[in-house]
Amino acid sequence: MSILLKLKDIEKYYTQGEIQVHALRDINLDVAEGEFAALVGPSGSGKTTLLNIIGGLDVPSSGSIVLNGINLSDISSHDLSKFRLFQIGFIFQAYNLVPVLSALENVELVMVLQGRDKKERTERAKHYLDIVGLASMMDRRPSALSGGQQQRVAVARALAAGPKLVLADEPTANLDSENASALLDIMFKLAKEEQTTFLFSTHDPRVMDVAHRIITLSDGIIKNDEIHFQ
Amino acid sequence: MEQKAHLPFSVFMMLAWRNLWRHKRRTIITLSSIAIGFGLTVFSIGMQDSGHNNMVDNAINMGDGHITIQHSEYLHSPANHRFLSDGKSLIESLINENINAQIAPRISLQILASTAHNAVGAAMQGIEIDNDPLRKLVEKKIIKGTWLSADKPRGVIIGDGMARKLKVKIGSKIVIIAGKKGGDSESQLARVQGIFRSGIDELDKFLILSPLDYASKYLIAEGGVEEKKPLTRIAIFLNDDKSMESWKNILSEKYDTQEVSVLDWEDMLPQLVQYIVIDDMGAYIMQFIILLVIVFGIINTVLMGVLERTREFGLLRALGMSKNYLVYMVLLETVLLSFLSVVIGWTVGGSVHLYVATYGIDFSAMIPEGTTFAGTFMDPIVYSELSGDRIFQLTIIVFVATLSSGIYPAIKASRIPPIEALKS
Repeated sequence: MSILLKLKDIEKYYTQGEIQVHALRDINLDVAEGEFAALVGPSGSGKTTLLNIIGGLDVPSSGSIVLNGINLSDISSHDLSKFRLFQIGFIFQAYNLVPVLSALENVELVMVLQGRDKKERTERAKHYLDIVGLASMMDRRPSALSGGQQQRVAVARALAAGPKLVLADEPTANLDSENASALLDIMFKLAKEEQTTFLFSTHDPRVMDVAHRIITLSDGIIKNDEIHFQ
Repeated sequence: MEQKAHLPFSVFMMLAWRNLWRHKRRTIITLSSIAIGFGLTVFSIGMQDSGHNNMVDNAINMGDGHITIQHSEYLHSPANHRFLSDGKSLIESLINENINAQIAPRISLQILASTAHNAVGAAMQGIEIDNDPLRKLVEKKIIKGTWLSADKPRGVIIGDGMARKLKVKIGSKIVIIAGKKGGDSESQLARVQGIFRSGIDELDKFLILSPLDYASKYLIAEGGVEEKKPLTRIAIFLNDDKSMESWKNILSEKYDTQEVSVLDWEDMLPQLVQYIVIDDMGAYIMQFIILLVIVFGIINTVLMGVLERTREFGLLRALGMSKNYLVYMVLLETVLLSFLSVVIGWTVGGSVHLYVATYGIDFSAMIPEGTTFAGTFMDPIVYSELSGDRIFQLTIIVFVATLSSGIYPAIKASRIPPIEALKS
């Protein structure tokens, strides 16, 4: 499998008051296409910071990120927005749906921005909502959906746009065990079927059962990187 | 980047519209305050414009028309001997201009009206008794006697204030004395043919109307030639107010000489122009304050909406929406708010305007009969007036003010870093 994501010598510092925090140190990581990889580690270990840097939401203090052949440090902020739009799908810890849009419209939103035509995006949105089990609730707004249902809409939105890489920041953190298991199953199934690369941070031990690869971060350093199963 | 992000206008509109109604109560309160402010502005401007137009119309109709041709020194130094010596040629020439107007030759004299009982200083206006626009205004105010007639060449019309002072009645004799340039005077006998009551002190106590030929005797005594029809002025009452400037320019070019001046009502009544300017300034200050309230109302609503959605904007940016799209989206929300405000404002203000334009408001309790302002007077019942220009101007001002008030929140929204927004 070819390399989709290549991180080289990533360092990240930020200041908190008068203290300089070294959030990421010497991160070197290759992620192959189609991998279902988990970033694990205690709170404050740098998981979210690393995901934000990979997603172009934050910039490293030094080092380079090459995603799908593009070096993110070489492109403007405007082009980075477009890059995220077409290449990266996000699933956040808090559900992050647009409250004035229905489930279907939320899933369509990224495809609207991509400029896909109405028919194609509606078909795709309905297809993914069906996969995540929400076909009957597609007209509901987020306020009329449970936390688990909202997170499934977010998964459908991330996948429907056809990204190369899906970044998920603790997607099961706010869910009960039943919903968390269901969501993980859906993500795993979609990753397999769509050959989409998943990289997600988690504390959830159930992830260990499904992830191909487990990358352990501690104090901003990759402590362990093990292939779980292929 | 070859792939292009694209957001259709219909989606923008849908998002902006739904965002606007996210907090219905807040939006309704903002809309109401803007609409009421705008409605009040429409009403106050309608009343003010109407008042000014009414005063100007009265000044033109009771005075010397839209355009006046008179001796060049008469405006600053009015005297009986400053007259147009060849009124006949001038009138003929003006008729040939084909002006869409009524042309009224007039003789204005400062005189002393005297009877056996009393004498008063007065202004005598010699007019063409059948054609002068003053007939329409004064004839209906006659309370005793009749309007001037050709078979009574010495007949005059006076106000009831003057009649009381001179103790005269219909048919009484009055000696009218006018001072001449050399210090002598010219006296003629007149008879009271009619007494009017306008309710305006300046007219009722000091105006005498006479036939033009009667008044011309005083100018002939000053050296005028009867065959040349000497006149104090020619008053031109245009049928189309808007043509005043162009006609003034045309006539000035042709008739302005060292001895003759072509003036418009603004030249003739500078105090009225000044009054309107000062009154307008006061109104503009009030309107500016109302606009500020409107602008801050919108800034408050839109900015609150932006700050509440910080996390959502972060999400949209993370998903790939560009900064520009965020600016457009917030601006579009402001445009919708402005549009609704203007529509509701016009509905409120326009309804009040239509009612007042039809039925008027009676200010007679506040404006006693006979009150004059800046050389003219205002009818006690005021009917609101709004010109097309005013409607356009008001709409644009409110629209631009409200739209510009969305700029700051829009820029603020676009500058929120997605990572910070997502943490909020």
